[in-house]
Amino acid sequence: MATETKFGYTACAKYEALLEDYLDGALELTDAKSAEQHCRDCANCRGALEQAASSVRLLRLAGPSVGPGPAFARTVMARIRAAEQERSSERAGFWQPLVSLGWRFAATATLVLGALVSYDAGWGRHAQRNLATARLTGTSDIFAPDPANPPADRDEVLMMVAETNHGK
Amino acid sequence: MADVPKSMAASAQALPLSLDRKRKKEEDRELVRLSQDGTEAAFEELVRRHQQRVFALVGGILRRPEDVEDVAQQVFLKAYLGIKRFDQRAAFSTWLYKIAVNECWDYLRKKKVRPLVYEADLSEEQVSRLDGIVSADRPPEGPGARAETREVLDRMLAALPEQDRQLLVLKEMEGFSVQELAEILDLNVNTVKVRLFRARGRIMDVYRRRMDSSGKLAGSRSTQRKG
Repeated sequence: MATETKFGYTACAKYEALLEDYLDGALELTDAKSAEQHCRDCANCRGALEQAASSVRLLRLAGPSVGPGPAFARTVMARIRAAEQERSSERAGFWQPLVSLGWRFAATATLVLGALVSYDAGWGRHAQRNLATARLTGTSDIFAPDPANPPADRDEVLMMVAETNHGK
Repeated sequence: MADVPKSMAASAQALPLSLDRKRKKEEDRELVRLSQDGTEAAFEELVRRHQQRVFALVGGILRRPEDVEDVAQQVFLKAYLGIKRFDQRAAFSTWLYKIAVNECWDYLRKKKVRPLVYEADLSEEQVSRLDGIVSADRPPEGPGARAETREVLDRMLAALPEQDRQLLVLKEMEGFSVQELAEILDLNVNTVKVRLFRARGRIMDVYRRRMDSSGKLAGSRSTQRKG
């Protein structure tokens, strides 16, 4: 049942949504007629509808609030660009220590690799030079076993070593 | 960087009112897709299309003209940063307006203020002027008179519960539909209708009390209640 407030009227609960639609002009003809019929029979709903219609007139007097200026979209885009720039520099700042460590590691690794390669290349040239010298002079490496007469057993190996040492 | 289709930009600028909702939504979808691919111009077009409504929504909730532009900019910035995650299941406008509502509440929470607080009541002169305007049933002429009427109405609206005030402002002053309000405020459509209808009764109670206290409505109220 509807109740009356101190000043105004309160509509029947089941008609409130319907009356709002009526006010909004959102009802089909049959529904609109049924709302009108109910308002003829019910003083509270009639009063509430009049009251609601007055509220529409009252509130529309002020009109909408002030809209954006002509430069609004451009200002928004400038703010977006600034925010993007800030974000990317923040991202860079976050990774900076790791990036710097990575570069240091890469530089050290390159140096070590370079040193190894150059050492290896120098050793190779030295070994080749020794081999060439040995071929020219007809001497062979003292530590290399004689391919023509390989030692038959352990004793012969020891004998060969002993002889070599005596020869020196 | 790819450009927004020229026909789309031109139609949005030249005939904004003649575009039907469905076509607008389709164009919005395409602009959103382009924005998601990184086309800045497409997003700028979306800003142009929705800036008026976002201003209205933010203005309707905050009722502080000095803060509206800043919050509206923040709304579009958030939309830009989140647009890649927007799956287009809802309309872009609904998604954007929800961001706007959340942004307004965040803003008010940070500022620790009610959307609108007026300590002083209406002066007798203001009551009398408003009564004249309501009786004439036509909007006040000139920006000064409009601003004053708005201020008087704002004072009356401040006497209502927050949700009532918000619904009335967005519906009657800023022109949002019941359907839009339901989507934006995450309410059932029927709930919006019922709350709106009750809020109308409450604002008229406030109006009558103001008028009654200045003796303007004494006669008219007794006449009305006889019916």
